[in-house]
Amino acid sequence: MATPAGERVFLRKASGLIKSASNTDVLIYDLGLVSIGLGLGFLLFYGPAVYLGGSLYVGTLIAGGAMLLVGLGMLAWTITIPRSGGIYNFGTRSMWPPLAFTLSFVEVSAWLFYGSFGAVYLAQLGIAPSVTAIGIITDKPGIESFGADLAGKWGTFLIGSGALIVGAIILASGMRRFFFTQKVMFSIAVLGTLVFIGSLLFTSRADFVSNWNSVMGDRLDVGDDAYNGVIQTAREAGWSDPGFDWKQTLLFSNWAFLPLIGAAFSISIGGEIKQVGRGQTLGIIGAIVTSVIVWIVSIALVFRTMGKDFLGAVTYSSLNGVEGAATPVTPFPTLLTGLGTSSVVLTILIALGFIGWIWLWIPTQILYPTRALVAWSLDRVAPDKLGTVSERTHTPIPAILLCLAGGITFVGMLAFTTFFQLVIFIEVAVLAWAIVLLAGVFFPYRRPDIYNRSPLANTKIAGFPIMSVACALGAAAAFFYFFNLFFDEFAAGHSRHSMSVLIGWFVGSFVIYWIMWFIRRRQGVNVDLAFKEIPIE
Amino acid sequence: MFRKRDSSGELAIFFATDLHGSNVCFKKFVNAGKFYGASILILGGDVTGKMMVPIARQKDGSYLASSAGKELRLEGEEAAALEQQVSDMGFYPKVMSEEEFRGLRDDPEGQEALFHELIRERLEEWIEYARPRLAEQGVKCFAAPGNDDAFFIDEVFADSDAIELLEGRVVEVDGIEMLTTGWSNETPWKTERETSESELRTMIMKMIDRLERPENAIFNIHVPPHATALDQCPKLDENLRPVSSGGNPVMTSAGSTAVRELIEAHQPLLGLHGHIHEGRGIARIDRTVCVNPGSNYSEGVLNGSLIRLRQGEVRDVHLTQG
Repeated sequence: MATPAGERVFLRKASGLIKSASNTDVLIYDLGLVSIGLGLGFLLFYGPAVYLGGSLYVGTLIAGGAMLLVGLGMLAWTITIPRSGGIYNFGTRSMWPPLAFTLSFVEVSAWLFYGSFGAVYLAQLGIAPSVTAIGIITDKPGIESFGADLAGKWGTFLIGSGALIVGAIILASGMRRFFFTQKVMFSIAVLGTLVFIGSLLFTSRADFVSNWNSVMGDRLDVGDDAYNGVIQTAREAGWSDPGFDWKQTLLFSNWAFLPLIGAAFSISIGGEIKQVGRGQTLGIIGAIVTSVIVWIVSIALVFRTMGKDFLGAVTYSSLNGVEGAATPVTPFPTLLTGLGTSSVVLTILIALGFIGWIWLWIPTQILYPTRALVAWSLDRVAPDKLGTVSERTHTPIPAILLCLAGGITFVGMLAFTTFFQLVIFIEVAVLAWAIVLLAGVFFPYRRPDIYNRSPLANTKIAGFPIMSVACALGAAAAFFYFFNLFFDEFAAGHSRHSMSVLIGWFVGSFVIYWIMWFIRRRQGVNVDLAFKEIPIE
Repeated sequence: MFRKRDSSGELAIFFATDLHGSNVCFKKFVNAGKFYGASILILGGDVTGKMMVPIARQKDGSYLASSAGKELRLEGEEAAALEQQVSDMGFYPKVMSEEEFRGLRDDPEGQEALFHELIRERLEEWIEYARPRLAEQGVKCFAAPGNDDAFFIDEVFADSDAIELLEGRVVEVDGIEMLTTGWSNETPWKTERETSESELRTMIMKMIDRLERPENAIFNIHVPPHATALDQCPKLDENLRPVSSGGNPVMTSAGSTAVRELIEAHQPLLGLHGHIHEGRGIARIDRTVCVNPGSNYSEGVLNGSLIRLRQGEVRDVHLTQG
């Protein structure tokens, strides 16, 4: 018999009464999924070049604020239903099962897509430019051109697919190996980020300009003063800085919001966190706040060292292929920083850190969908084989293989076609989250039997259940970002093509549910029974 | 009347486990036969709750209690609502004076005695609830204890004419033999019914020896077989804290090696397991289909498995969350 300190309860000797996992574990999990380095790359690469007049500071803060609201809504869900599996569990408790499956399907498709997106970026913005930069700094044209080849279609496909295969092998070989590699890559990523920040701190504008002119002067056709030449040429080609613009700032904020979504991914491991309220709050809120602070500091340092105009001009020239000013290697900020130091060692460390951040996305974005596939299989809305778990490694190998096949298909489409716009899938994922958050507004009223057992049940704001308030704010923020992406032609947009992908994915997911429903029906299995609540008579 | 096989010769069994005192889950379990069309209900072990929640009456007429780690001061109706809520979650509310609470806090034996009283009361209430409903549905209901259950609960079930106690027995379920035990291998918590792997093997072997056709039997054993998808749970350190690596909990196998060896050796038709709440799933050991429906009792969600048997085969296992 025992009495926990400070609590007016008595416990008897029984299994399962374990203490909570460290709350910082959840924070690390969520931070890894934000991928701070890749997020920073998005902000600095696309911000000044594409969203002319957009403020990187304001846009980042807006996205951080919105993600805090989404995070609060998801916190309310995961505290009320502390189960692993993400929105599938929330959906099947609160809405029509075919709709819950549809939302889950589009969500996991999106995360799988972003795993592939990360794999493509690993090739195009991580490995290839790093090799090129080393070739430039060491003045070895062979290495430089090899780096350029790696960024090509086949180079991208082979590196991206290879990364996915390695990620899948690690996952299939057991969770222990997965945790170990994630820990190693997280350490490398943090180290690289510290070197990146340190390099910016100790490199003056004059040093940067001098080094840039030294290594790029011969490679660009903008005159001897390559630094100012790039700015001048880009301006003549159409780049400008018209001053603060709200619309562009809001559109730019999409690029901060996209990686921040990862901060709430610990909803997928809700069942594995014992002090779910405290752990998830620290994980989700902590990851958002930490990411935003690191980004704001890094943006300020990059602007100080390189100059905002230069960054805008050089990235604009690269994205638009401005003759004479387009660098032979994608001018991602991490790479520019390495070039600015003119040090091979620092360039390699910064590049490795960046690669580490991208890597953190890849296996985890396979892991999240595999958990959903297993859950669907157990609920009989996916083939039984997908729920099979290896006795040796305890991992769902058929589900991992299916996700790998899907991921490689996405990499191929990203490398060889223009079928998918940059972040079109985030639109469907954000819509899925928005709908689940909206369902959360009504959950305390529709399912008081479950909600009244939540630790949140006794907390109200202005007379409304706190879950309704948090989910309403979260849904508002998620719907806002759905429409923000809808009107961002660069990132996602609403062209006929974009809408076809978006609607097609929803309809396709819905059809898959009903195909499985009919197949099971023929097998004598009523799929609906998996979700229906047994009435108490 | 006791419904058996349907016209196609198919037998539908509904199995749920690890209810841990949840009123809501037990009531759902009793109604599951009608809801899922099952003629046999099997309740796996760990039927009793783990926590008592004293609701201490104060001198000003209010009540003090803890819920979800927070101290609550309640008025009369709120206290009654908390009693209901706590019972539904599987805990045992007990209204008492503040003095009684303070006295009990330093009296482990008093706590244990009160626990036993409350557990017995709840089980008797459950049996009374089940009797007319099971009779009306024509459903046969079996139950077994688990490693967390005190030994005295066997008497409570044994005295019942509504629910048949299975512990240590071999019974026939519509022509299929079933052996049952709620004992487990050793756990970090030193619970009531746990023992060494060799002792557990001996206990199960005694029952296997009484089977006429082990290959056609059901092994209803609370602890799942070792190293399957059914026995994965967070690894704990010596202070019972989950071990984490890279920000994630490290999982380990907590199932029984003895259970696994005996399943491998005798290849029964079906294994019914629980114990590891996180281990919801279906696993095959050669021809044997092993099931652990897992448990979400504190949410009031009844995890179960609907198993259809026909002609000596497991036709289908459907995991449910009711």
